Amino acid sequence: MSKDTFKTRLEIAKKKLLKKKLYQDNQPASSLGAAFKMSTELVAHVAVGTIIGFILDKTFGTKPWLILIFFFVGVIAGIINVFKSAKKMQK
Amino acid sequence: MATNPMHQFEVHRIGPEIKLGEIDISFTNASLFMLISSIAILFVFNLGTKKNSTLPSKLQLLAELSYTFVSKMISDTAGSKAKPYFAFIFSLFMFVLFCNMFGMIPYTFTVTSHIIVTFVLAIFIFIGVTIIGFIKHGFGYLKLFVPSGVPVLLLPLIVVIEVISYLSRPISLSVRLFANMMAGHTMMKVFGGFVISLGIVGGWLPLSFSVALTGLEILVAFLQAYVFAILTCIYLNDALNLHH
Repeated sequence: MSKDTFKTRLEIAKKKLLKKKLYQDNQPASSLGAAFKMSTELVAHVAVGTIIGFILDKTFGTKPWLILIFFFVGVIAGIINVFKSAKKMQK
Repeated sequence: MATNPMHQFEVHRIGPEIKLGEIDISFTNASLFMLISSIAILFVFNLGTKKNSTLPSKLQLLAELSYTFVSKMISDTAGSKAKPYFAFIFSLFMFVLFCNMFGMIPYTFTVTSHIIVTFVLAIFIFIGVTIIGFIKHGFGYLKLFVPSGVPVLLLPLIVVIEVISYLSRPISLSVRLFANMMAGHTMMKVFGGFVISLGIVGGWLPLSFSVALTGLEILVAFLQAYVFAILTCIYLNDALNLHH
């Protein structure tokens, strides 16, 4: 391959790159990623809520109550989080 | 032959026992594979960026593609302010990716299938992002927990919910990577065991499953590294561009 043909090819390639967006979004991968994100976050919120309730129960000695309350707060937080991500996706 | 599907996750010591006080810091197979991944990354990027010719070699192409991939991911999710953290996110992505991919080679050890490894990565990201947020915004960073436009009556509940969702970040980040890697590898091993136990008559079905699962696992290995890095970017974005 001579040097000239390479140069013209480089020019053409550069023009092509300028015309269209450099990289297209890989939509399937990122939506699969979002699905993974949501499923674990839902569980993690409940877990964190329960752990906080457990620790507070131990420090205040109010055995079953705070863990119950914080468990449900964790569930609410998880569900709200899923709603938020769904709203973000629709934009 | 080890038929136990969990046998592949066992950590064992290589070489002599080293103790630092009460803590065991011996060299294990986990450390070996972390070392191998890190050396492989250094190797690829040193060779790939040595000659920067206009017609790139395969290694140079690999290095350049991964650079632009991560660079675009950061600018898309966290904006131009996150540019200084490129080196951190790039090395994080590459480390997780190489660890996952090395785990796909038979007879190797998957470092990321251990919760302690992923949790340490996640907790360092969490602490780092929190420190960055406090440095950039001072105590105004606490506004992250108080979304605007919420009635005063609901405010205590919302603040608790926001704190819980902030604290759940390192857990969801680490559990996702660890669970995906461990579940996938266990499943592959179980189907591999079926091939042996069903023999030449019935072994073909699980064998075809194993082939399909290997493809899926390679996808998951890449995807989990991508998700890990992109979530780091999202958390960084929250710390850098505070808004609600």
